[in-house]
Amino acid sequence: MQYLKDIVPAALNNINTKFIVLDKGRITLEGQQKMCLALVADETAAVHFQMWGDECDAFEPGDIIRLENGIFSYNRNNLLLRAGKRGKAEKVGEFTMAYVETPNMSEIRWAPDPSNSKIYVPEAVISPFSRVFPPVN
Amino acid sequence: MALKLIQRGIHEAENPIEVSLREAFELRKPQLTPPFSLKVLTQEEYSKINKALIFGILSQPHLAKVHIKHLHAIITDGYGFFTCILVNIVDELYPKLLDSVKIQLIWVTKEMLNVLAIGFDKLLVAILRQIVGGDFREGNLWLCLEMVTLFLANWDCLLEEEPLVLNKGLYVFLRLLTDHYRVPSNPMIDALKRMEVEFCIRLLREHFPLCLKIGRDLIRLLQDLVHIPEFKAIWKDLLLNPRQFRADEFEDISQIYRIRTPGLYFLLRITPEMETKLRFLLTHVKLGSQKRYQVWFAKKFLGVPERETILTDIVRFICCSVRPSSEITEPDILPRWAVIGWLLKSCRKSYIEANVKLALFYDWLFFDETTDNVMNIEPAILLMVNSIPKYIEVTHTLLEFLLIVVDNYDIERKEIISRGASTALSMIVENGIIGSLDVLTRCDMISPVLREMLGKMLLVMQSSHSKKLRSASVIHDISPPIHLLPSSLGSQHPNRVS
Repeated sequence: MQYLKDIVPAALNNINTKFIVLDKGRITLEGQQKMCLALVADETAAVHFQMWGDECDAFEPGDIIRLENGIFSYNRNNLLLRAGKRGKAEKVGEFTMAYVETPNMSEIRWAPDPSNSKIYVPEAVISPFSRVFPPVN
Repeated sequence: MALKLIQRGIHEAENPIEVSLREAFELRKPQLTPPFSLKVLTQEEYSKINKALIFGILSQPHLAKVHIKHLHAIITDGYGFFTCILVNIVDELYPKLLDSVKIQLIWVTKEMLNVLAIGFDKLLVAILRQIVGGDFREGNLWLCLEMVTLFLANWDCLLEEEPLVLNKGLYVFLRLLTDHYRVPSNPMIDALKRMEVEFCIRLLREHFPLCLKIGRDLIRLLQDLVHIPEFKAIWKDLLLNPRQFRADEFEDISQIYRIRTPGLYFLLRITPEMETKLRFLLTHVKLGSQKRYQVWFAKKFLGVPERETILTDIVRFICCSVRPSSEITEPDILPRWAVIGWLLKSCRKSYIEANVKLALFYDWLFFDETTDNVMNIEPAILLMVNSIPKYIEVTHTLLEFLLIVVDNYDIERKEIISRGASTALSMIVENGIIGSLDVLTRCDMISPVLREMLGKMLLVMQSSHSKKLRSASVIHDISPPIHLLPSSLGSQHPNRVS
């Protein structure tokens, strides 16, 4: 199980983590498929999570989700965490999880590691908090 | 299709409790049909077969009688393990259980009562906690009806074996009656109300000493029922004919005022799910980041206006059953007063707001330093003080409420109540909860009338304090009979009433 602060963009289904859903955007249709962007977080960081299909109706703010074999990658220039075709997202609880809203891993600019171009390293913070879901307090 | 206990949503993980019970069931399926083996079981095998039978009883209604016969044949621990697992299922899974499983659960509970299983009382209490206040949906009313029927049908047995279960039932049904008298009449609710009234009145009339164990919150609950003829009669006797209750030492209602209600009663009107979430809020969430949690909590438990009646129960629970030990180690954790401030703001109806305020100040009115706990009165003072200056209207409305309620709660016994409230104030300062009451008495933002009234209360406090000092020295010198002490606690001490 990984903390969100430790996830790094890669074209791999290699993310195993647990987080709480903080906010949900509007459900939109992409072709036949429903799609919905969400703000999720654990006690170390937040990130944008892309929900697909019936995940969009199944997950609500306050739900605790376990993600197995998820992928953190660019989708039309947006850096998103999602289950993808090979991964699985399941609700395991509600409410009882602490979280932080900064840093937001989707709001970090990443660049290839100069010593190993296959690995991304953080280059700059674009925004400390989500620009899509601003903090509520 | 696999047998199941709970309704699982899409993208919802399997529940570990259900998985473990189902596994035990699947593994022992061949042993669950007659003829049953008579061989002595190892401890581990015994636990596993118990779990398998629980799963069978709950998920196979048509075979439940076979399974229970099997259970009776193998039991060697007085059903202690069996009821313990059932309590766990009720606490962790009840809201999610399939309707057919809920029916089986009540059936097996009755069986456990019939055999006087070890822990049957805990099982009954666990189920009582699942009746949700202010929820008038059929499933909830059904549970209520099942439980009050069970309590009435097993009256003598409960009275003999576990009388405290009846006493807890009284707390629950008195509280539910208030809700049930607020909804439009229909045959189910009417039948329910009749049985709840029958149960409560019978216990109050026949076993008053048992009822007294609830303590002062018994009066708080009875207050909301005074419009019901049977309860009006109870009130008349409480005030005018206390002897009518045939409780030897009961002579005046003020004796009940003096009994602090033990914290466990407040849990009875909070579901375990609510309790977990509230405790999490008060131990893990930092002050300033509570907003989202509050929204989620409100959406889940306070969504419908009728549900607001549980606000009173939650406030009593927070004041009397939650102890903020974490505040010392984690200074920025959301304090109890802040949660109560939010709950107070959530009240949409004025009578609910009044009840919530009474719940917040209830222990102030009868505060006795020898039996009461200063932590029960701490949230109210901190909410008043910390609302200055930004939320001064909160301070104002709370202070006004306190002063009015001290004068009017029980005019016949005004002296007792005013002594209680002033003792509360002096204990707050003595225990360093706030440095001084000047923060209220010298606050220009509070109306002069209120400050003057508060000043008068403080005078009571000072004079009773100095009287106490004097009498303390008298005791030391000549030891008078204890009932002559000005605090007059001797003959009417709470512990002696029950």
